[in-house]
Amino acid sequence: MSYMFFNEEEMRLVQAICERLIPSESDSPGAKEAQAHVYIDNVLAGYFHHLQKYYRQRLQDFDRLSVQWYGAPFTQLPANCQDEMLRRIELGQAGEEAEKMKTFFEVIYEHTIEGTFGDPIYGGNRDFVGWKMIGFPGAQWGYSSDQMQPGYDSRQIEILSVADLVRKRKEAQ
Amino acid sequence: MKGKIDAIVVGLGAAGGIIASELARAGMKVVALEKGAFYQPSDFLTKFDEIRYYCRSAIVPHMKSDPITWRPNKKTKAQILPWASNTLGLGDPFQIPPSIGTGGGTLIWGGAAFRFREADFRMRSTIIERFSEKALPEGTTVVDWPIDYKTLEPYYDRVEWELGVSGKAGNINNQIVDGGNPFEAPRSRDYPMPPIQRSAADRLFVEAAKRLGFHPFPTPTAIASVDYKGRKACTNCGFCHGFPCHIGAKVSTYDLVKAAVEETGNLEVRPFSRVFRINHKTGKVKGVSYFDVDGKVVDLEAPIVILACYALENARLLLVSGINENGQVGKHLMVHNYGWFTGVLPDFVNSFMGSLQSGSVIDDYTSELIPDNDEGVLWGSPINTWTGDFQPIETIRGLPPHVPRWGREFKRWMSENFRRLFRMYSQHSTLPSHQNYVDLDPEVKDPFGQPALRITHDWTEYDAKAVEFFMKIKREIAREMGMKEWWEDSPTPKYHVTVHDAGTHRMGLDPKTSVVNPFGEVHECKGLYAVGGGQFPTLPSYNPTETIFALAYMTSDHLLGRI
Repeated sequence: MSYMFFNEEEMRLVQAICERLIPSESDSPGAKEAQAHVYIDNVLAGYFHHLQKYYRQRLQDFDRLSVQWYGAPFTQLPANCQDEMLRRIELGQAGEEAEKMKTFFEVIYEHTIEGTFGDPIYGGNRDFVGWKMIGFPGAQWGYSSDQMQPGYDSRQIEILSVADLVRKRKEAQ
Repeated sequence: MKGKIDAIVVGLGAAGGIIASELARAGMKVVALEKGAFYQPSDFLTKFDEIRYYCRSAIVPHMKSDPITWRPNKKTKAQILPWASNTLGLGDPFQIPPSIGTGGGTLIWGGAAFRFREADFRMRSTIIERFSEKALPEGTTVVDWPIDYKTLEPYYDRVEWELGVSGKAGNINNQIVDGGNPFEAPRSRDYPMPPIQRSAADRLFVEAAKRLGFHPFPTPTAIASVDYKGRKACTNCGFCHGFPCHIGAKVSTYDLVKAAVEETGNLEVRPFSRVFRINHKTGKVKGVSYFDVDGKVVDLEAPIVILACYALENARLLLVSGINENGQVGKHLMVHNYGWFTGVLPDFVNSFMGSLQSGSVIDDYTSELIPDNDEGVLWGSPINTWTGDFQPIETIRGLPPHVPRWGREFKRWMSENFRRLFRMYSQHSTLPSHQNYVDLDPEVKDPFGQPALRITHDWTEYDAKAVEFFMKIKREIAREMGMKEWWEDSPTPKYHVTVHDAGTHRMGLDPKTSVVNPFGEVHECKGLYAVGGGQFPTLPSYNPTETIFALAYMTSDHLLGRI
């Protein structure tokens, strides 16, 4: 696997953070299967290229804190310690670094959400993992009156990405 | 365009799009200068994309290119809109000025198309007659409008029939009609199209509201419910507010502009043109200067110039061009406070389907209909519903503190509840006052070296009371609908810009106390017009766009010598 921006070590750390934010369960995949980390790698090489230095520096800060607090890099911690560390950072309990780490949490959190629930054309939400989770059918040309009734189960609708929709429209023409 | 230009229109949004196409259709030679793109229908065929249009706000001005600063009061140093600055990609794309490009804000608006009420045109008199002059909070500059509902009624009718609004009349020539809004001002005829497809949540709201004694009616919406005048009927795609329409069902002045360009040969659109100065001499407009797409300065002359760049940018251009003899430009800024109320319904209602306006409204307590109250609330608001158009990322960003934002519990909550969401809101305007205004920021400049606009605005205790009064009613309706979980926005929210800002170049008959006349012509500069919500002397509790359209038709008639 090759990446557009991150090195392998960084990619593993980003993936580990994404995995805790939207964890995989036996019957329900999460950010890992959605490949939110691939989305983040893609955006850093593109739309958010101005955040490259920011990400690189904050990931180092993040792992340094992990070693300081738990004696090991984040990817080697058990899940409960990883959750605790993320929680402390989210709540601004990282001492002198509280503010900057909290902001980094917000940034990587937002990107994990985008990479899980955004359209797959951006490299995340693989196999519609995020949309299947919440019952969202994605890019639909429209909905019928029958579908817009209370109690309707939206999981009956075939999920589409923007790319699928364009392809289907072309095929129909 | 070769030869003499009759008029320059700056900005092709709700007002500018109408005026530019009306003038061109009547034979005037018009050049329209638009800061954004000249869109084509194929631009919007892939618009079902939350990352592009919501997260990255693809067609909305960004703070980096179009900075605006804000401070709560004179004593505080202004900073670039803290809720929208977006340096790390975390900004709130909703609370910044409307989209740009042909169509402007009407590209991505929600389409709510309300007329104002008769009393909305005489807010000061109405409050004084009912309460007293002393009831008005200190420092307010509430006035009556220089025009009344009757003057505007034919223009409202024209908006509804010419552009196409879907809805159900409640009062035709003083006859109350079943199924519509019994409290609306008399209209000369019904809407040309029935209401758009009802969302699943609407029935629950309507039944609950009726049981509580309210009179719900379908939200009037500038979205075609059936094929109408070459526009396709809405498909209920659910990517509506914040997104351009893929089939042109939603009214956008983009369509008018495109048609006028193609059919008349009298309208030239120059996209990516950034006007930075209005040129004028001895009380007469001469033209404008702008940066073209390559950053080159272009001077353009015309005897008529129409500024239609939203209440904020209109004021900035007037100020930067030294047009402010009486000191009124930028004063009386008014902003809507929405009092968001979002919750979870017992049943699946799939609130990602359909337009946000696919529900109903109650007008029982709007404007002058506010019941007597101990809180001192002088002016009421409709209670609007938001029954469609919920996308996943926007929903997650708006989760309240009691819902886990990540981890297993987050997944569980979203999988159980994303399909059950329902929202109510109201629209309380800050009263116009000396405290709230815009001027030029003394330090911050845009990338072209032009001064940024500075907003001085804060919510007051009065604003919070008005929001809270209506929050109580929303709670009552929510309980009646069977909701057990809901969350409310702060009555003094963090945003101070919406897409409904108004009042910055107030219209009036007296040149000493107002900036423009009822046709939008600037008192101190003949031939110069400033149009849009900036003209509003007070901001009613309804969405402003239908009135902006109506005023634009009136300005067009005036410019064409029809009135």
